[in-house]
Amino acid sequence: MKNAAPEADESLWLLAAAPAIWAAHFLLCYVAAAVWCAKFAGPAGPLAPARRAILALTVLALAGIAVIGRGGWRRCRLPPPPLSREFDTDEDRHRFLGFATFLLSVLSAVATVYAAGAAAFMRDCR
Amino acid sequence: MTTPLERDQESRLLKAWTPPKGWRYWSEVNNTEVGVWYTATAFLFFLFGGALALLMRIQLARPGGDFLTADAYNQVFTVHGSVMMFLFAIPIFEAVAVIFLPQMLGARDLPFPRLSAFGYWCYLLGGLFLCGSIFFDAAPKGGWFMNPPLTSAYQTGIGADIWLLGFSFIEIAAIAAAVELIVGALKCRAPGMRINLIPLYAWYVLVAAVMVLFAFPPLIAGSMLLELERAFGWPFFDPSRGGDPLLWQHLFWLFGHPEVYIIFLPSVALLAMIVPTFARRPIVGYSWIVLSAVGTGFLSFGLWVHHMFTTGLPGVSLALFSAASEAVAIPTGVQLFCLIATAAAGRVAGSVPMLFTAGGLSVFVVGGLTGVMLALAPFDFQAHDTFFVVGHLHYVLIGGALFPILAGLYYYYPLVAGKKLSERLGTLAFWLMFIGFNVAFLPMHLLGLRGMPRRVFTYPAGAGFDALSLSSTIGAFILAAGVAVIVWDVLRSKRGQPYCERNPWAAGTLEWLQEMPSKPWGVRSIPEIDGRYPLWDQPDFERDVDRGRFYLPDADEEKRESLVTSVIDARPVQCLELPGPSFVTPLAALTIGGFFIFGTFGQWVLALLSGAAGIGVVCWWLWTGTSVILSQPDKDVGLGLTLPLYVSGPSSVGWWAMLITMLADATAFLSLVFGYFFYWTVRDDFPPRGAAGPGALWPCLAASLLAGAWGLTMLARRFNRLGRATGFHAAIGGAGALALGGAAALLAGPWSTGLEPTSHVYPATVWMLAAWAAAHGLAGALALAYCAARRLAGRLTARCDGDLENTALFWHFVAATAVITVAVIAGFPLAA
Amino acid sequence: MGLSSRTSPRVPAPIACAAWLSGCAGPQSALDPAGRGAERLAELFWWMAGGAAVVWLAVAALAVYAVRGGARRAGGGAQRALIVWGGAVVPTLVLGALLAYGLSILPGLLASAPPGALRISVTGEQWWWRVRYESPGEAVELANEIRLPAGEPVEFTLRSADVLHSFWIPSLGGKMDMFPGRETRLLLEPTRPGRLRGVCAEYCGESHALMAFDVVVLEKPEFARWLAAQRRPAAVPAGGAAARGGELFGANGCAACHTVRGTGADGVVGPDLTHAGGRLSIAAGTLPPGRAGFGRWLAKTHEVKPGALMPHFGMLPPEDLTALAAYLEALR
Repeated sequence: MKNAAPEADESLWLLAAAPAIWAAHFLLCYVAAAVWCAKFAGPAGPLAPARRAILALTVLALAGIAVIGRGGWRRCRLPPPPLSREFDTDEDRHRFLGFATFLLSVLSAVATVYAAGAAAFMRDCR
Repeated sequence: MTTPLERDQESRLLKAWTPPKGWRYWSEVNNTEVGVWYTATAFLFFLFGGALALLMRIQLARPGGDFLTADAYNQVFTVHGSVMMFLFAIPIFEAVAVIFLPQMLGARDLPFPRLSAFGYWCYLLGGLFLCGSIFFDAAPKGGWFMNPPLTSAYQTGIGADIWLLGFSFIEIAAIAAAVELIVGALKCRAPGMRINLIPLYAWYVLVAAVMVLFAFPPLIAGSMLLELERAFGWPFFDPSRGGDPLLWQHLFWLFGHPEVYIIFLPSVALLAMIVPTFARRPIVGYSWIVLSAVGTGFLSFGLWVHHMFTTGLPGVSLALFSAASEAVAIPTGVQLFCLIATAAAGRVAGSVPMLFTAGGLSVFVVGGLTGVMLALAPFDFQAHDTFFVVGHLHYVLIGGALFPILAGLYYYYPLVAGKKLSERLGTLAFWLMFIGFNVAFLPMHLLGLRGMPRRVFTYPAGAGFDALSLSSTIGAFILAAGVAVIVWDVLRSKRGQPYCERNPWAAGTLEWLQEMPSKPWGVRSIPEIDGRYPLWDQPDFERDVDRGRFYLPDADEEKRESLVTSVIDARPVQCLELPGPSFVTPLAALTIGGFFIFGTFGQWVLALLSGAAGIGVVCWWLWTGTSVILSQPDKDVGLGLTLPLYVSGPSSVGWWAMLITMLADATAFLSLVFGYFFYWTVRDDFPPRGAAGPGALWPCLAASLLAGAWGLTMLARRFNRLGRATGFHAAIGGAGALALGGAAALLAGPWSTGLEPTSHVYPATVWMLAAWAAAHGLAGALALAYCAARRLAGRLTARCDGDLENTALFWHFVAATAVITVAVIAGFPLAA
Repeated sequence: MGLSSRTSPRVPAPIACAAWLSGCAGPQSALDPAGRGAERLAELFWWMAGGAAVVWLAVAALAVYAVRGGARRAGGGAQRALIVWGGAVVPTLVLGALLAYGLSILPGLLASAPPGALRISVTGEQWWWRVRYESPGEAVELANEIRLPAGEPVEFTLRSADVLHSFWIPSLGGKMDMFPGRETRLLLEPTRPGRLRGVCAEYCGESHALMAFDVVVLEKPEFARWLAAQRRPAAVPAGGAAARGGELFGANGCAACHTVRGTGADGVVGPDLTHAGGRLSIAAGTLPPGRAGFGRWLAKTHEVKPGALMPHFGMLPPEDLTALAAYLEALR
């Protein structure tokens, strides 16, 4: 089957890629806001530049997650055999890794949107 | 009918795997023995922690209680929290995994049995040391969170040192166990057990163990800083000398929040094994559960600040962490619904394990919902540090961990003892615990909202706490009665009770292959797997395993052996000879433990001697027991398959263990770097104006020397592969010399500019980073010397170069550590 | 300003009723709000508690339905729907909405006080509170008691002299931690007069449980009168036991640690005692006011508050203790 891959082409790292992007986005947003408020804006200063940075980071992160999620989706497009207990082929493993990657991308995207949304409520460094 | 060949095979397997008799029994390293000790010890610590809880409840039964003094109460609540977290919740996960993971994966043992045993002995020693302190009125009393400056400058006794050093010791043991479990799950599965076929328990253990790798190092780093302040006056948390107590909270909660999920995930993992068995159906939503486990693992590292919502951080930080804290509820919900869907797919048979499962989940959902409330920063402003949180966390931990663990106890007890626990006593225990639990902990939510703070040894009459608090006390005793019933059920003599039939619950996963009573070898032969529930799916599976029709049915040299397989598809790559019983593991635990215990009493000379002895013991252990070159290069493992006996590099388990260990090490290092930049962010005087840094010359020289040592190490590996002895020895000698020079140069930087670590946090931080990197350079030099000696002794050859491969991997990390250190301590002051 | 511009809370009647039924009233109860912040947070809590109850019941009902076999009859599609909708989609939407609601009130809670607002700085010390009214007008220091005008936003500046503490008046609003070497802020706005209680919420050592304070919300004119009275020096008793107590106060070295304005006592280590006799409790909310309370505190200091830094004076003859207590009680 054309979607099957030998073991050497699979990687567990890909599974972790989307949440890793979430983590990087989260950390960068946090650090950007913390450093901006502590070093530049002052305790009641405006947050606008940090919010712009968060917006840009969010667009980047969502784009990255989308690419990974699309790859996962493609790999799992084969419909799973209905309630079968046979999972013992390269395609099954390939489909599983694809589907798990896709699901993790969706979760990472939701968490990223939550984080960006949270920043939207704050206008200054208080 | 067994054939004579099968009988011979069995007797040889028995010789290889039977534990030693008499006092030598304690030198055993096999996972079933060590896992059972580990689990039993964890339950003992649980009972101890529970007894402390009852003392607290007696004290709080009435307003103005005088059962305990304030000081005693503070010791008791500190030790209760610490014991439950560090000596019960985390160890029980590792202990249960040590027993069952190999069996679920169809392996004979974990890849490093001696490491498990070492971890156990460290845990036992450290745990006894900690718990013992309360009998001498010397226990820690800073709370399980140990906030400085209370614990740095305002508590003089050795209590805080016991906590910091004792738990660091146990945390190192926990990391060792995590390494073992990760490598076990990735590399020691039965052939054919592809990544999409492994039991969900193994997925959860894999995720939780990886979380241990990244969660514990920040706490170890923080403990190191706090102990340096206590013992030597380095002012990391002293604001009058530039320090900041908030750094501790960051490092502590960077550990503390993931820790909750490290406890929770392996417990749900038990449910993911139990529910399909009783529903008589495969789990529904396997991929969804994997998603949840991995997703929770990641998200849980974005929650730590929700323990710091009231520390005055900018609102935007609070909002970000609120968002992540809400998001983590999504994968948790998915897991729950997968279990419900599985129950829906089958016909659920009632039983004690299912009772604890249902009760646990119903309690856990309450804890999850209050968690969702607390995750919102505004609500947390009110509820934080009150009894509301006490109620919440017990709903999470007892519902999400203790009840599932007890479900697991009733489910898996036959695998350990060959006999079932009593259905009647189990049901009684469940209802006592369930009712007692709710009577004890539900009122706490209201107590907290009525304004009762946590960690109070008394409260005034008439403030609205009396009745609710008394209810908690009554509930606690009912809960304890339930626990007592379970203890009785486990301890009562079962001599008259016959062994139960094999696979008594008719489960589908590999661990139930075990015979009743069990045989020491685990599986008679290591099967080839082609589904998630081989006992349900593969015809004649049990018979074929029993008659040795799969891999490794024999131990022709009467040695312990298991298979190593590839990570994704579990193709066999090596026949691994496992080490047998040895007293080197308790000896290593004792000597290394000596470092921490002497350190607690401020006996730093003895501590260093003991630590050095520990390093010696470990070297001896490695020298005699690892990377052993066998007489033959490969071996027929059955079914016409011949596998090598020695592999090195990424195919080997040792290389993976090194990689994983170094990820933990790098995390500790990054925590220290985080500290540096944290001080820079929050303090205007970091670095202080006009302060001398470590200069540029020495640090740059150090970075060059260590980078050179790295290069020569790579060259030595190349020469070794080519079989060029002279080139190898020249390169490795040069590398060692450069490593020593580099370490010295790192320390020469701050020394030459006269940085005084007790004067201000800036010099202290610079010294800390330099010393960390220098210690790695020294360790690297030691590893190089070890490789050179191995080659001279003929224990390392051009093909059998595992030690050298692992050393090379270690040096990648050393070089990165050195370069980053120099960039930070010498480069950053120029840029900032 | 975010907080003060809002009208009274819109807690729906059934919820308010539930609050009353569950016995949430009390001087220290977050569910018996007497301030803007606490009102908002209590409202948030009741919405969430109601929602949580609905969610718990729904999950329990689904679980029972599943175990009873309802979903089995519906087939594999129902199981997948259970996971997709029940596990993923619905929680994502509900949590998203809750997050938005919760965070929408966050900026208001973190806002600064308007210019000219009352400013009070509070320092947590093991185990009492140093309170300083910074404005309006000339600063004045007292201890373990805070009085506030109703309907006025107040900004607290919080510090610690030693370990971590946390400043919390549940009926007025959320808590805020206090750090050595770092200032934190908290904005509170009492809405109705009444007597409340505040506590330390962060574990701070041996007598953490005995670190409370009294809070009295007064109508504005009454508050102004009270603050003016606090600015005045102590009313030094002229004769009798109280006057002798004043002499003993000096002779026993009390003045080294305590200030009594208008006398020579100007120590700054311990609480200011200028109007100690007029306070609502003794030793940071630990003992009832009055002569007996002072006497017990002086004689049994460490029984009352284990680990307190003040030395005990149990070695003084009983009549001296009585005189000292009378002196302190007279400092109104």
